[in-house]
Amino acid sequence: MTGDRPISRRRMLGTLGVLGVAGATGALTLSVPRRAGAQPFGLQETVQDGLKRLFGGRPIKDGAGVIKLDVPLIAENGSVVPVSVEVSSPMTANNFVKHIYIVADQNRIPIIARATLTPEAGQASVGATVRLGETGDVRAIVEQSDGGLLQVKREVKVTVGGCGG
Amino acid sequence: MSDIGKVRIRVPSSIKPGDIVRVRTLVIHPMERIERDQQGRIIQRRYNYINRVVATYLGKTVVAFDITQSVSENPSLVFSFRATDPGQLKVTFEDTTGGKYEGTADIRFS
Repeated sequence: MTGDRPISRRRMLGTLGVLGVAGATGALTLSVPRRAGAQPFGLQETVQDGLKRLFGGRPIKDGAGVIKLDVPLIAENGSVVPVSVEVSSPMTANNFVKHIYIVADQNRIPIIARATLTPEAGQASVGATVRLGETGDVRAIVEQSDGGLLQVKREVKVTVGGCGG
Repeated sequence: MSDIGKVRIRVPSSIKPGDIVRVRTLVIHPMERIERDQQGRIIQRRYNYINRVVATYLGKTVVAFDITQSVSENPSLVFSFRATDPGQLKVTFEDTTGGKYEGTADIRFS
């Protein structure tokens, strides 16, 4: 009984040491890949709430002469609707389009996409295939480098809704 | 399903220096929709959809997209950039489960 006590203590210390090392490396490897959970960009909200969340109370002017929003008049299949937005902008370092937002008023996630552009893009033109839940307005909102906001909207008639979101 | 993450990039066949190049890109991805139970409540779980797309040319970001579940399955995105030098155009798609899908296209002048 008394004979094996020192061995057990040594073994005990050994295992403690191993555990300590494992614990330390474990903590290190865990802390590296863990990323901060950023707030999701698209939320379930009404379009008014969404615009308020993104732009605060900033006024959005009519951009009919500047923005060309290309959407079909009738979308037979709401789950794939091509939308393209083209903005006439010089795209120089002082005056360029910073963001283009695509918004569908009737979607449960109304803020569909945000494109962040740089002057290197040369031309402010983006497109995406989106889902539309039901008939309603589709807007393109443009944020310029000086903070000015412009928008255009067009109604799209949706025959078969294609939206869970 | 095994095709998830396949990226296709289409650029015009002939590009001249200084041209503004229109790029079409597509990724095979389910872009899961929000599901609801019988009462219409949202089922809370981590949905797998692409939320970030970044296009770089010669190592510099030209366009970045933040997209949501309101974007279609197998999303196709279009953007343009000014081709100044021959080099690589790279488009990276990231989804909510940590998946990262890349596609590249060589920009050459003819």
